[in-house]
Amino acid sequence: MDKIIVQTKDITKYFPGVLANDHIDFELKKGEIHTLLGENGAGKSTLMNILDGIYHPDKGEIYIKGNKVHIQNPFDAMTNSIGMIHQHFMLVDTLTVLENVALGLKSQGFYIRKPEIARQIKQISQKYHFTINPYSKIWQLSVGEQQRVEIIKTLFRGAEILILDEPTAVLTPQESNDLFKILKELVKEGKSIIFISHKLDEVMEISDRITVLRKGKVVGTVNKKDVTQGHLAKMMVGREVLFSLKRNPLKRKGKVLKVKELEAYNDKGVKALKKISFTVAAGEIFGIAGISGNGQKILAQVITGLRRATSGKVILNEKDITNASPKAIISSGVNYIPPDRLKVGLIPNLNTVENAILRSYDREPISKRNFIDYEKATGYTKSLITKFNIMVPKIDAPVKLLSGGNMQKLLLAREIAEKPKLLIAAHPTRGLDVGATEYIRKQLLKERDNGLAVLLISEDLDEILMVSDRIGVIYEGQMMDVINIEDAERNKIGLLMAGVDSARN
Amino acid sequence: MLLFEKRENVSTKLKIAIPLISVFLGLVAGGIAILFTRTNPLTVYRALVKGGFGSVYTFSETLVVAIPLILISAGLIVAFKMNFWNIGAYGQYIMGAIFGSFFALTMPATMPRPLLLAIMCLAGILGGALWGLIPAMLKAFWEVNEVISTLLLNYIALYILKYLMYGPWRNPASHGFPLSKPFELNAQLPRLLVHTRVHLGLVFGIIAVIIVYILITKTKFGYEIRVIGENKRAARYGGINITKNIFIAMAISGGLAGLAGLAQLSGVIHMLQIEINPGYGYTAIIVAWLSSLNPIIAMFVSVIFGGLEAGGYQIQMAIQVPFGIVGTIESAVLFFLLGGEILKRYRIRLRRNTS
Amino acid sequence: MKLTATTILITLLATTVRSGTILLFPTIGEIFAERSGILNLGIEGMMIIGAFFGFVVAYITKNPYLGFVVGMLAGGVAALIHAFISITLRGNQVVSGLALTIFGLGITSFYGQRWINNKLPESIPTVIIPGLSKIPFIGTVFFRQDYIVYFSYILVLALWFILYKTKPGVHLRAAGQNARAADAMGVNVNATRYFWTFFGGLMAGAGGAYLTVAYAPFWLEGITAGRGWIAVALVIFAMWNPVNALLGAYLFGGITALQFQLQASGTTIPSSLLSMQPYLLTFIIVIVATLIVRARHIGAPKELGTPYAREEK
Repeated sequence: MDKIIVQTKDITKYFPGVLANDHIDFELKKGEIHTLLGENGAGKSTLMNILDGIYHPDKGEIYIKGNKVHIQNPFDAMTNSIGMIHQHFMLVDTLTVLENVALGLKSQGFYIRKPEIARQIKQISQKYHFTINPYSKIWQLSVGEQQRVEIIKTLFRGAEILILDEPTAVLTPQESNDLFKILKELVKEGKSIIFISHKLDEVMEISDRITVLRKGKVVGTVNKKDVTQGHLAKMMVGREVLFSLKRNPLKRKGKVLKVKELEAYNDKGVKALKKISFTVAAGEIFGIAGISGNGQKILAQVITGLRRATSGKVILNEKDITNASPKAIISSGVNYIPPDRLKVGLIPNLNTVENAILRSYDREPISKRNFIDYEKATGYTKSLITKFNIMVPKIDAPVKLLSGGNMQKLLLAREIAEKPKLLIAAHPTRGLDVGATEYIRKQLLKERDNGLAVLLISEDLDEILMVSDRIGVIYEGQMMDVINIEDAERNKIGLLMAGVDSARN
Repeated sequence: MLLFEKRENVSTKLKIAIPLISVFLGLVAGGIAILFTRTNPLTVYRALVKGGFGSVYTFSETLVVAIPLILISAGLIVAFKMNFWNIGAYGQYIMGAIFGSFFALTMPATMPRPLLLAIMCLAGILGGALWGLIPAMLKAFWEVNEVISTLLLNYIALYILKYLMYGPWRNPASHGFPLSKPFELNAQLPRLLVHTRVHLGLVFGIIAVIIVYILITKTKFGYEIRVIGENKRAARYGGINITKNIFIAMAISGGLAGLAGLAQLSGVIHMLQIEINPGYGYTAIIVAWLSSLNPIIAMFVSVIFGGLEAGGYQIQMAIQVPFGIVGTIESAVLFFLLGGEILKRYRIRLRRNTS
Repeated sequence: MKLTATTILITLLATTVRSGTILLFPTIGEIFAERSGILNLGIEGMMIIGAFFGFVVAYITKNPYLGFVVGMLAGGVAALIHAFISITLRGNQVVSGLALTIFGLGITSFYGQRWINNKLPESIPTVIIPGLSKIPFIGTVFFRQDYIVYFSYILVLALWFILYKTKPGVHLRAAGQNARAADAMGVNVNATRYFWTFFGGLMAGAGGAYLTVAYAPFWLEGITAGRGWIAVALVIFAMWNPVNALLGAYLFGGITALQFQLQASGTTIPSSLLSMQPYLLTFIIVIVATLIVRARHIGAPKELGTPYAREEK
């Protein structure tokens, strides 16, 4: 008998500027593994955070085991048998496994009965066929083991519904397999699992049913048996085209950027780039399509010198800039619009002028000897403001007061104005309104016509298709394929983004 | 339930009003404390002001106290702008004093005064700078928490001072007391005003303030450290060399503190002894913070603190109010200012707990 | 009693315990406060507040234990000011702590004027523990002390137990190491920090009170003489571990006692050499601490000095 254990009706959630969840109806049956599939920004994490009590829905209802509930905080979620395992683990690294499990445990009194908890931990781990030493400190464990600690934590608190948010993002293939074995065991024991992912081969392996989200809406819910990866990809990326931009014919002139077999690791020590190779020519826009977290950010960081490459080469106009200092790379003519404009690209508390000169403060005419001529700097900033039509009410007010679109325009202006040879733009229109988005895209095209080499990284497939001359699809740190825009097919790219090699399927 | 809501921007009116109200409330709180001893608070406040600023002589004493504060706080501002919490000005001050004293104690009395003083000042700056570079290295290379490293180095500096004062540098003629030989005239900073103790250190202080101000507002270095202090990631992104800047900033910060130590020794105490830093290192932190990291304001705040201290001594004699009142009032004002800070960034709202 | 070398040594060690106890309280207190994530540089101020109130109450009521308790509470109340500013108002902890020190020194000097050089009528009674005190050597040193010293023994053991074996201990360590994770697991981070900062104040007050109620026992302006600052260093020396705090406190206490003893008995060993020793120790502290702090899994609590606010992303 198929019992519905979790049901959401009409869940709606607004964030400034975006409708993250749009009247979502979702159900989880008892004993199933139900995957939530979608691109980034589709609304998967938001929906799950609502179930976990971290966000509150603006509209809609949640039913657990048939009863309507209000989940105000993660504690309420736990009371309702929901246990969430986030992408970023909530573990205290200097404490032991046992202590992390005991943290906040209501059933323990003042004194922690360690042997008892240790025994229970061993019991759980044996039941699901993995080993963990309860007395190890978290920092001594591998990522896969830490994830298992998170699972144990939820089971300890009586979770019957487990939510795993992109759990394989940080695991090796072997660890992923081990995880799947554990999940299958859990389900045998009567637990129900919501699995968030964008990797189609995993989804096909582990799921019973799949719900696809796209731009905040449910596209559909299907049984795994009834679909192929192709179907899923189509559901994921859809068919709409918002609006199109006029593009001048491509005038490619000489290769500016050559990336050869580049490899690098992320902060967790997992290899994030695996022998990536591609080139970008002057006068073309090379778009990197892919779901966030597949190595794009790492790639941008390595090219700009913010992260070490462990092997491979980055060559700019025949000059080897692999692992050069950020300053040297900037001087060589590489500019970068980072994805976190407020955390990396701009300094929120400094004013517009001070932000505008971040690339040029070191050179004449803005600086002479060791002094900065703020008059010239202000003049320079004003010219940027006029040329790029940026709305800046007070030029000496902190830049965080500007609207998102204007901040991004400022970033773009600053990065383009220095006439670089290569511009890397990562998620340049994220979080912007329609007008600003169109403006940025037009600017990129304009610079391309002027002979700039542009490396565009975006999770918005529409944007990539609209603007790029060639598209490279990145998945798990590998370049799946490089396609010319004339040959680009939305569904094919969607499949590649989700890890489906055309050779395999 | 009290809820703090982030403000979008702060009007200049608020930026001035909040500190002023805080100061006022602090003075009132101090006044209440005074009332407990059945003294009229207004009398005390009036006497304090008079004791610090009432006459040329009392004002000169104020300046004498203020000089090290001006120098040290100017240096601290450079470090704090970069978000490097230099709690070690105390130790850097001592090391500057030690380095400078070395020359004072070993050079002959016949050496020309300007030459000796110049050497001593440079030595003082060097001593403080070196002491400041140690935590800089620890932070730059090993990410050691600078609050802890600078704090611990204070104790070590004190150890070295004590060792010297009880050991090799002790004046044999001092009956076992830990004092050095008194400095000869050529090792003493000249007085600026006759019949006062104000010495050349004041000029150093003013020059330091101007240099720090220019450094921070007009140079590339100043721009870079401001970016680093606000957002380290953005600084890296902008190609700024963070390690280099940590070193330069701490060399300056330590150097100025060292100079302060030298100036105090050479201008006022005229010998090396154990009690050479009545809390200057830590008070300067408060001065820097109070001045919102603006060196020119810090100069004036230093003078205010100097006035409070000088005034405190005066009222002890004049109206028999113990010196402790100064600390009481200072800290009361500080607490209100600290508390008021949050109102600049957040608005308070009352929200009913919905369940 | 024959003045043999052993007798001198025993007397010295017994004094060490008392002198160390003055340091032990504030060190332990600050260890726990810092473990929760709050840096409190106001220890000297809280200590002297405890010293003052402890003395006055002991003098008036002629009851040293009452004085001790009141002194302890006074320190705790003073800490609450710092807690309020640091936790609720998210103010600058360094400046707030320093302000607290200035406050303590100032206000006790101000009100303490008329109490200067007053001496407590009776010294605190020594309580001999039957049985244990008969152990040769150790018995005399550790078990012929006053109730407050015995309290400190029990306190260290209890705190060690609480820190490593109980739920409040785990919550404390989590709050200071990863406030977000602690919050996600249902720990009230700010309440935890309030509690342990208050506790730190209680302990600092206790140390000061013990000084004026038992050790000295008189009142002088600034009688704590920088011991609060030594406690700050001892916390680091102890690497935030209460049992190490005991060792460190006794070490420092011992050196102070030795200094005093030698000066009193007029020996020819220059007291200068001895005065240096506490600072030589700190020299070693720094080397050791730096090397250990490099292995980033031991060392300062990661959240030290950073206020916590649950933020909606």
